[in-house]
Amino acid sequence: MLSLSNLDSFYGRSQALHDVSMSAPSGTILAVLGRNGVGKTTLLRSILGLTDRQSGGVVLDGQNISADATFRRARAGIAYVPQGRMIIPDFTIRENILMGGFAAQGPRAIPEIVPKIFPYLMENLDRPGGVLSGGQQQQLAIARALASGPKVLLMDEPTEGIQPNIVEQIEDIIIRLNAELGLTILLVEQNVKFARRAAQNFTMLENGRVVADGAIADLTEETVTKHMAI
Amino acid sequence: MSDIIFIGLSLSSILLLIALGLSITYGAMGVINMAHGELVMIGAYTAVLAGLHLGLNLFFALPLAFVTSGLVGLVIERLVIRRLYGRIIDTLLATWGVAILLQQLIRLEFGLSFFGIHIDGLGPGLQNMTVPAFLTQPIDVAGMTIQPYRTFIIVVTLMLAGLTWWLMYRTPMGVQVRAIMRNPQIAAACGIDVRRVSALTFAYGSGLAGIAGVLLAGFKTVMPEMGASVVVDGFLVVVVGGVGSLLGTILAAGILGQINGIVALASNDIIARAVVFAVVIALILWRPRGLFSFKSR
Repeated sequence: MLSLSNLDSFYGRSQALHDVSMSAPSGTILAVLGRNGVGKTTLLRSILGLTDRQSGGVVLDGQNISADATFRRARAGIAYVPQGRMIIPDFTIRENILMGGFAAQGPRAIPEIVPKIFPYLMENLDRPGGVLSGGQQQQLAIARALASGPKVLLMDEPTEGIQPNIVEQIEDIIIRLNAELGLTILLVEQNVKFARRAAQNFTMLENGRVVADGAIADLTEETVTKHMAI
Repeated sequence: MSDIIFIGLSLSSILLLIALGLSITYGAMGVINMAHGELVMIGAYTAVLAGLHLGLNLFFALPLAFVTSGLVGLVIERLVIRRLYGRIIDTLLATWGVAILLQQLIRLEFGLSFFGIHIDGLGPGLQNMTVPAFLTQPIDVAGMTIQPYRTFIIVVTLMLAGLTWWLMYRTPMGVQVRAIMRNPQIAAACGIDVRRVSALTFAYGSGLAGIAGVLLAGFKTVMPEMGASVVVDGFLVVVVGGVGSLLGTILAAGILGQINGIVALASNDIIARAVVFAVVIALILWRPRGLFSFKSR
């Protein structure tokens, strides 16, 4: 279980998150919704300690990690699939995947599930990551996150900027990771349809604050229109 | 002709050792370390002191200087640079201050000169390192005169460049350093202890500077100010080669060292410096990011 309590987060002097509290029970998917620029990405970055300054609690399975350095949070079991994938173009696919392994408890290895869900990556392990298409880079970023053997996966708009025929495949894999590996997932999404299909719970952000939350079944069209329509 | 190239090669070698450390630290941490030349100077003094007081020759001085300069580098990283990450102008000024401090430490014999105590090999004067006799006698091989000390410099540099390549491309430590160079935040999010790896990288680069100092002491006078000129040369190589590129650094050191050697022999040292600067300016205009720099998508 990952829970945040009264989290404030800052970039320089400007406060990006105000008093944010939420929790994702183990093995569930929590959808983080909201318009562009309301602090969804900041929320994920704050959980990993990647903003300039923060206060409040970040508790993973009873352990408060809010004062820890980023690498310790990663080693505690939090993995990040960032917006824009952020794979390293001149590292090979193998090197990119194994990079995640620095946060693993055991030796660095390609996770067992990767050949099953991403056969293309396995066939091209020695090619540079930069030659991959957007969708393949997304697969690579997910494989890298899995290499740390995480408890919690933070995913930032995993289907953004990916060709439409691959989107559904990535969506299915996210659901499968949750179901088969029991991963807790914080899913930042703009696509409400997918959020409804995948998540058990949701949190709606606006201007760096939580404005609505609850079970995904209770997410009304009215709430969506009010906080997400442009 | 072949001995001119040879002299150029040995100049390139020392340039390379100095630039390797700079390139790695600048690439991995974005730190412009103005005290890098003083780490070279400390290496040279380590060799002088080890010879005078411990009776140790060049071969023992090399590892000793690596450790000494490495440790001094580690202390600089801990006390100064660590507090200034991401503030490039501040680190530039702060490390410049460290450079002056280190020079004065040698001039004032760690402050002991205030108490009238003098240590042989320190102080404001000029020092010399004695090179073992068998490294100073030229050898004739098949009509060619071979300078053994120059050869020694080249061999040591080749070995250290090889070691650096192996560390960077064949060990988990190297993967971490290269990952930090590309994207420190993602590296940290992947569980890499950026601070620890950066500190060790800095110490390694400093150690290489120390070795360069020992080699330099074999044919140049050792004095507190010797670091100031080499750090400029080091930065020229880094800028021309492309930040963080091992291959680029090697190639740039080779080109600049050769130009320096050839022009200096044909005319004099001052013209050689001018030509080197002209070539560097031309290269930067042609390729602002250096000969080699990794592509970012």
